[in-house]
Amino acid sequence: MKTFLTGLSLALAGALAPATGAEARDLLVTVARPDNLYVIDAASREVIKDCKIGSEHATPGITVMSPDGHVAYMLLDRWQNVVGVNIDTCERVFFARQSEDKVIRRSIASITVSRDGTRLYTVRNPVRHHADHYEVMEPEFAVFDTAAGLDAKPIAIHPAPRRSTLMAADDTGKVYIAGHDIYAVDPETGETGVAIANASWDRPTYSGPDVLAFWPIGTQNDEFMLLYSAAVFTDEKQEELADFVWGYETVDLKTGATEIKDFASFEVIMFSAVRNPNAPNELYGVYTQLSKHDVGTGELVKRVDLPHTYYVINISSDGKEIYVGGTNDDIGVYDSTTLERIGEIRLPSGGDMSVSTLQIVQSE
Amino acid sequence: MKPLNQKADRVLKAAAVDKMDEVRAMQTVTAGCATTFDPGWEVDPFGSVAALCQPMEADLYGCSDPCWWPAQVPDTMVTQPDWDANANSAARDWRALGTVFPGDSNT
Repeated sequence: MKTFLTGLSLALAGALAPATGAEARDLLVTVARPDNLYVIDAASREVIKDCKIGSEHATPGITVMSPDGHVAYMLLDRWQNVVGVNIDTCERVFFARQSEDKVIRRSIASITVSRDGTRLYTVRNPVRHHADHYEVMEPEFAVFDTAAGLDAKPIAIHPAPRRSTLMAADDTGKVYIAGHDIYAVDPETGETGVAIANASWDRPTYSGPDVLAFWPIGTQNDEFMLLYSAAVFTDEKQEELADFVWGYETVDLKTGATEIKDFASFEVIMFSAVRNPNAPNELYGVYTQLSKHDVGTGELVKRVDLPHTYYVINISSDGKEIYVGGTNDDIGVYDSTTLERIGEIRLPSGGDMSVSTLQIVQSE
Repeated sequence: MKPLNQKADRVLKAAAVDKMDEVRAMQTVTAGCATTFDPGWEVDPFGSVAALCQPMEADLYGCSDPCWWPAQVPDTMVTQPDWDANANSAARDWRALGTVFPGDSNT
């Protein structure tokens, strides 16, 4: 409660308030090889910050932003260390080395920040290296103080679900983890429950779902949303295929409300998707095509081919532009109505973004 | 006696540094790309190749960074972390990717 009140009082004082209103502009934030954190003015397509991170390796570049939009927390160094960089100054303000001498701890995209900005959470998977074998240890839910500086150690460690990927925090204080199911964790106690049944869903005419979860996006619509695909059969005997579907599962990060819903037949692959914050029925998904779906009606509104595959997608605050990134060294800009390519941003390093995140924050 | 495989070689080395108490008769667990989450893919979900990433270079690091293609690329998490050291762009620099032989392992 103390940390919540501290965060609230700072927000009320304006110190941490994200920019809003007509003066706010969208900034894109992403990581690319060899060691670069880029901040891009979305409207002008200009790279306004090129921060040398000082990482051992830029992989994987999974990035979450502090609630005030000023600090990019990145999972780097072959999925091991967490680096926080102030995007206004390029200054390193946070560092947590998760591995130690003989125990290697990797987080498979499992990183998020509390809604008041005071805590950073990871799920990490320890493996002890012995002289002739590896010992797989129990996964850990680690809690860090974001004010801990450049030698941050966990202030609490709880048991965590094995095979965890993406995480998100909500206004109620819960932390969500995508794994076999979407888990909800109380970070104070470590108590873990199921928020959305996924591998354990009770859908007798469905196969198990297939979920790909590398990209912690969804901040524009303030949700933790993942896509799933599944086979649907004509009856519970599951002998005759009726359809192969796309669906989404989401947690509203203001209320904790959850939803799971099919919205289209599986016609093309999509690696990631966002919804329009001004029209949440509009879902945009990306891979080698960019697709616009109406999840209210189940209609495929439009689909266009892209110059190459892109992994990650985001959307402008006004909902008018779509940004596609990841994979190579370019970010494509698309009109959200026509899906016409209206812009392109080339990253100066020329290095691949690979699986790194394309985040978006508002700035004055 | 001469070790016939890497496991036996590790046992000899462990004996030399007085680490035999750590040695297991069988290696029961592994780490790195051997415990990856996906066996890799050579065909797309429709049984063809048209829906694989285009071009494949757009997908090379996206699949090697998380050990998605363990059979096709080196284990860059554990044994071959420098495989891509001179190739920031897979599309332009693929000729500079390292060549890997079993004896090169860093572990």
